[in-house]
Amino acid sequence: MGQGSRGPSAELGLLDATMIGMGAMIGAGIFVLTGLAADIAGPAAIVVFALNGVVTAFTGLSYAELAASIPKSGGGYAFVREIFNDFSSFIMGWMLWFAYMIAGGLYALGFAPNFLELLHVYGIVPSPDEVGAIVLPVVDTAVPLAFALAFVAVIGLVALNAVSTAASGSAETIFTIIKVSILVVFVGFGLSSPMLSEAEFQPLFPEGTGAAAILPAMGLTFIAFEGYDLITTVTEEVENPRENIPKAIFVSLAATVVVYLAVVAVAIGTLGADGLADAGEAGIAAAATSFMPTGLPVIRNGGALIVFGAVFSTLTALNAVVIASSRVAFSMGREGQLLPSFGQLHHRYGTPFVAILASAVVMLGSVTLPTQSAGNMASLFFLLSFIIVNVAVIRLRRERPNMNRPYEMPLYPAPPLIGIVLNLILAGVLVEYLIRTDLLALMLSAAWILLGGIAYLGLNRLRAEPARIPTDGDTEITPEVED
Amino acid sequence: MTSDLDIIVAGGGRVGFQTAELLANRGHDATIIESDERIVSEIADEWVATVIQGDATDPDIIEQAGVDRADAIAALTGETGLNLAVCLAALELQPEIRTVARIDRASAESYTRFVDAILFPERAGARVAANEIVGSDVQTLVDMTGDLEIMLVRVAEGAPAAGKRLADVRLPAGALIVSDDDGNRIARSDTTLTAGSRYVVAIEPDVADEVMNLMRG
Repeated sequence: MGQGSRGPSAELGLLDATMIGMGAMIGAGIFVLTGLAADIAGPAAIVVFALNGVVTAFTGLSYAELAASIPKSGGGYAFVREIFNDFSSFIMGWMLWFAYMIAGGLYALGFAPNFLELLHVYGIVPSPDEVGAIVLPVVDTAVPLAFALAFVAVIGLVALNAVSTAASGSAETIFTIIKVSILVVFVGFGLSSPMLSEAEFQPLFPEGTGAAAILPAMGLTFIAFEGYDLITTVTEEVENPRENIPKAIFVSLAATVVVYLAVVAVAIGTLGADGLADAGEAGIAAAATSFMPTGLPVIRNGGALIVFGAVFSTLTALNAVVIASSRVAFSMGREGQLLPSFGQLHHRYGTPFVAILASAVVMLGSVTLPTQSAGNMASLFFLLSFIIVNVAVIRLRRERPNMNRPYEMPLYPAPPLIGIVLNLILAGVLVEYLIRTDLLALMLSAAWILLGGIAYLGLNRLRAEPARIPTDGDTEITPEVED
Repeated sequence: MTSDLDIIVAGGGRVGFQTAELLANRGHDATIIESDERIVSEIADEWVATVIQGDATDPDIIEQAGVDRADAIAALTGETGLNLAVCLAALELQPEIRTVARIDRASAESYTRFVDAILFPERAGARVAANEIVGSDVQTLVDMTGDLEIMLVRVAEGAPAAGKRLADVRLPAGALIVSDDDGNRIARSDTTLTAGSRYVVAIEPDVADEVMNLMRG
């Protein structure tokens, strides 16, 4: 009998919920983007991460209030769907779905150079700079090795999640503890390193651009604080959610800010902003290899531990967004805002199969982008969707004053208003920065929204049609007849 | 398009809350209206539904519960008259809505002239009690006690499991398909889930929504 072969999910405590948030945040962002942020803002990268933490905290309050009063596990899309009309909630879901998918591409792009660095530490491949391309005999073209690796990582995790539900959930707490421990080791050795005493934090801001360079760097690294929202996608499995969800959001945000600041300070202190910028996506890994002790048993080079941390973090973060993006698409399918097949579980695997495969297509496409473009686009779409989340809080307070709110944010309406303004400023700066430096990313973003508009109109037409279809009959999308 | 319904439950007491919980477990969207602050706080702890605190006959409160989008409203407070008023108010605001009212005496059955369906939980409870007292081994479908639900489920056209053999469908642990499509045989691994046919299914509440997704789409 094909019955009863998958177990129900376990109960999650405050610690588990916090770890889900931290695990998603302390994934790729810190490893991949620190170097790129240092490239734009110099030593002020520290300020960049600190300010982003502050900006995100306002939206965190909004998420906490919504998650506590709307008992649904769908995350941002589910809340907005509850409050807004058809089109607004569609656009929210559409943007959030894209943000997760592009983030997936970003993490895959961060995984590849760090993985090469890991192989390099053990002398399996030459230094990343010298790794050129592998030649595919069939296609007769040279594919850059890093690109191929990123591609394989996405395909592997998509395949895993498409045929099994095992990769989600349970192990997250352990993963997060491993990641944080590795970063603590990094900070510990960094602080005791003689390199730190010669640290150069002056001038704090890069010459020429000055303090203004902070804003585009904030836009790029905003995605490093994306992830606490994933706590709200598992609320049904959390014990005493109306207390634990807001707590988990705040604790994970605060802890993540502390970890980031320590890591960025050490990285800049040891390698210097310029060295960090040169290392790009592998910035933290490069900093680590510069001061970690060598000649250790088993792992030989202490830096390898940190590089392993980067590889591990980018992979687990990629896994998290593969799940998150497919959940958004699945919910949209359930709500009739994407084709119904998106909202169906696969009859054999029990996974949202179509939603995962569709997400994979965009993710694979985004792997072909430069890392910085992927980071900018993902950040832009998270900023936009966070604006909507803040608006949702205000709208819900106005339209449903009598709704029971187990958690009410303090000083309403200041936090969501400040959140909207700050997110708008960052989105504006980011768009302006993209116009100057990365027109492709901007055009792709606009194209996605345009595509959304077309998809929405098309779906509405499709939904209007079935009224006539049953007469001639055999279409798959015929709505089911209710008893 | 989907089989998930938006449902308003007026009254968050024992009957109302249990109903909302069952609906939520099956993947529907429930919103509870309850005026008693103590009960509101208890329901919020259980995390099954959005709760609007207020008087369910107040049009403003019914609107806050999202009546414009709701597929059905169930008035399940202990007072028959109040339940009728809630249903009629909701109909006034949204003529398409399905209305279900709880009654507290058999003579109120004529209320079906005003609402789509009525229910009399005390009599249903009494039936279960009578079954238990007699100690019969046979229990009818609706009178199950405990958490397990025995349901008759019709497989929807286009649902993921429609047209598949049971051996090819991986149901979550805690779910069991009991009968074949004409209800004469116990289901085997070669039993095919035919769209349009009904099957007796035993389900634990926390996997009910998954099973509904597979069988109903």
